Amino acid sequence: MLKPNKRTSIIPFPPFKSIQSSIFFTFSCLILVTVMVISLNSYRLSVDAVETNSQSYVQEIIKQVNSNIQSYIDNMENISMLAMTNKDVKYYISNNSFISKSDRMPYEKRISDLFQAILYSRKDISAIMVFGYNGFNVSDRRITLLNPYVKLEEQSWYKEAKRKGGQSVISPPHVQNIIQNEYRWVVSLSRELKSTDGIRGEGIFLVDLNLSIINDICSQINMGKKGYVFIVDKSGNIVYHPQQQLIYSNLRSEQISRAAAAKSGTSFTVDDDKGKRVYSVQDTNFGWKIVGVAYTDDLIANEGMIRNSILMYALIGILFSLLLSLFLSYRISKPLRILQRDMKKVERGNFDVRTNIEPINEIGQLGRSFNLMTAQIKNLMEEIIDNQESKRKSELMLLQSQINPHFLYNTLDSIIWMGEQKKHEEVVLMTSALAKLFRASITKDKELVPIRVEVEHITNYLLIQKMRYDEQLEYEIDVSPDIMHYKTLKILLQPFVENAIYHGIRNKPEPGKITIRGREQNETILFEVADDGMGMTPEQLENIWTMHDKKQGAKSTSGIGIGNVHERIKLFFGQEYGIRIQSEPEEGTVVTIAIPKIKE
Amino acid sequence: MRIQRATLLLTIIFIASVVYVILYFKLFIPAPEHEQSITVILKEHNIRSDFWQTVSSGAKAAAKEAGAEIAIAGPLQETDVDGQVELLEEILAQKPQAVVIAPINDDRVTERLQKIQEAKIPLVIIDTPVKLGSAPAFVSNDHTAAGVQAGKVTLEQTGNRPKSVIIGDFAASGVSAEREKGIRQALLPYGQSVYGTYYCSDSEERAYLIAKTMMRDHGDLNAIIALNESAALGAAKAIKDASKIGLIKLIGFDTSAYEIRLLEEGTLNATVVQQPFNIGYLGVQTALDMLDGKKVKPVTYTNSIVVTKENMYSQENQKLLFPFIDK
Repeated sequence: MLKPNKRTSIIPFPPFKSIQSSIFFTFSCLILVTVMVISLNSYRLSVDAVETNSQSYVQEIIKQVNSNIQSYIDNMENISMLAMTNKDVKYYISNNSFISKSDRMPYEKRISDLFQAILYSRKDISAIMVFGYNGFNVSDRRITLLNPYVKLEEQSWYKEAKRKGGQSVISPPHVQNIIQNEYRWVVSLSRELKSTDGIRGEGIFLVDLNLSIINDICSQINMGKKGYVFIVDKSGNIVYHPQQQLIYSNLRSEQISRAAAAKSGTSFTVDDDKGKRVYSVQDTNFGWKIVGVAYTDDLIANEGMIRNSILMYALIGILFSLLLSLFLSYRISKPLRILQRDMKKVERGNFDVRTNIEPINEIGQLGRSFNLMTAQIKNLMEEIIDNQESKRKSELMLLQSQINPHFLYNTLDSIIWMGEQKKHEEVVLMTSALAKLFRASITKDKELVPIRVEVEHITNYLLIQKMRYDEQLEYEIDVSPDIMHYKTLKILLQPFVENAIYHGIRNKPEPGKITIRGREQNETILFEVADDGMGMTPEQLENIWTMHDKKQGAKSTSGIGIGNVHERIKLFFGQEYGIRIQSEPEEGTVVTIAIPKIKE
Repeated sequence: MRIQRATLLLTIIFIASVVYVILYFKLFIPAPEHEQSITVILKEHNIRSDFWQTVSSGAKAAAKEAGAEIAIAGPLQETDVDGQVELLEEILAQKPQAVVIAPINDDRVTERLQKIQEAKIPLVIIDTPVKLGSAPAFVSNDHTAAGVQAGKVTLEQTGNRPKSVIIGDFAASGVSAEREKGIRQALLPYGQSVYGTYYCSDSEERAYLIAKTMMRDHGDLNAIIALNESAALGAAKAIKDASKIGLIKLIGFDTSAYEIRLLEEGTLNATVVQQPFNIGYLGVQTALDMLDGKKVKPVTYTNSIVVTKENMYSQENQKLLFPFIDK
């Protein structure tokens, strides 16, 4: 047979032996896990939310930067359009050998004035120039002195514009060295100017934007303490970076390739030894990528606050719910403990226990069922005891009321003998006494009879015995007339008298005497059956009781044991009543029988 | 007994989970940084000094990157010892978290630095070495390596047949001595490559004369290595006057508007430039590392870059030659 093994049970908990601990443990685990999961989750969620917010915030800033820079570039574009459509410029750089240098002079002045006017209105523009393929140059300066050591054709902005043929070209930031003694950081827009028919290129137009404009836009961006903006071009070259020199000398690395590969409007996060930061990328129309870098810990300044408050609420929640679970587990297991305690009492045999469980739930019902059950058990037990008692009573009465066959035989023998002797009177007397004895023993209707009847009965019995033993037996009945009307058990005294005769007097050479006394003492009636027969040693006395213990199996000459009588009295009247035997060898025996006073 | 054990177990579980939660938050979130502040004292704090302005922007970049506060100060002139001493006195009174200083070579400055060290204020020396009881962290350009670079460029320019003369400012100048050491180290394998080292006392005029004399005395002279700006400008003038542009190669150090022009016209064939931005950046970063309790290198060197006419307008070198956008 499979016995469930406690140790290897599938319950994944430590083997708690009380329901309270199990409930508390389970609740606590559940609460801890739930609170932890929820608080970690909400922490992550709120941090994520803040991160997303800050990302879109950074995106917004970068868009702003983008449109700012774009507006400057657009402006340069507009200036270039102006130059392109300007008739003076066209004329000035036209490759027409019939136009002399002096013819061109007024145009040069007019163009220069125009450029100067633009330059005055735009602080962001540092230079506007036109380089004609015919060798004529004009700029916003009155006198344009070019740097003699710089070859125009080698300048990348010049080469690029020529290559693109009419499209505008935006250069990366560079030092503009084309004008003598001027070294300015600029971003150049250059484009080839076409002839009137729009086929041939006739010169290069250049407009320089002060790099300080872009520098200011980028450096004045506020993205937390450490955040910054950098710009890369299409091929991944740095256009602007606050720490450009560190990157060039490999003292610092930057996510340039990743930024260059990123699509416009997207963000990516980098987390290395410099800290977690968000890169937001925006494309400009002219091929630059503006990248905003924001440090998460900078942007999420209140991350610590979020964490602390969540931590605090979680701890308070855990503490509160642990207390609650302690209380709950106590409440749930308390009635069970009460029931357990009461059941223990029942186990020890106390069926009067009534358990008192208040809640009207399953356990309360269990308690009531328990109460019903104990009551039932108690009733049944009492019933069984009663049954047993009455069964025993009737058994014992049956035993006692039986006439000893030896006695009957002997008595009949005596009657026959007396009949042969023609002693008619004695025959009548003895026969009528025997008849009375019989009648007494066969009337089963009443267990209790008045003492008077019992005395009559024993008188009849002694009469028969006296006739049989003649001189050998003497008797005396001394029962107080005051007690005659009280009730006693039927055939109570006969066994003792029988014993006195058979064991006490019959074996004695001299005649013996039996005295029967009856009196009242307080609420008790005491009968005494005394003989002056052989008496008993203490051992024999002891045997009488043990014979009773061995029950009726042991064949007794008296037909019924002293013990049985004793038991019968106790069954009827209670434990405080019964018989007491005093005996001295050679002196005789006194049997005292105590019964209660029971009125008729 | 049973209940006690269960309670004990639960207490342990509870404590363990609390510890877990705390650890989780501790592990995944860096402790909020305390505000760090650095004081930087330059040799010269003047808008006209490109070199020191660039050092200062490097210092600012490092501070911004770490989210630290930075205060930059310095005397207006590199010769204003009193000004720097005064600033150091202020520092001793204020006791900032860390100090980065480019000291002027003077005993009074050294004395104050000693006191700063004694006050247990983390100290980083940049640019100019100074002798102190316990060596402070030092960030500087590696002048010897710069000298070696100058020597190598001389070899390139002269087709490995260098016949050169070195013109320095003062014999006592530490920087010049280191540069010379580097040059000689690079030119040593070539016999009779250096005719000598001469000092112009930081005078363009004297440099001119020295160069002129040398060109006259040594017919095969093909290179002049000028250890500082005045020497370079004087030598350039002498070469131009002798119409020997391109024949006598001029190798200089550092950069200025004049030197850039010389570079463009080809009189100055190469110049070895420092990276002051990096000096400032690394100086402050070293100080921040000290504040963070990290171990720092006792000496950090920055590299020099050789700039020639050909590469002077490259992306990298433009930034070195023309450090400032607003001009």
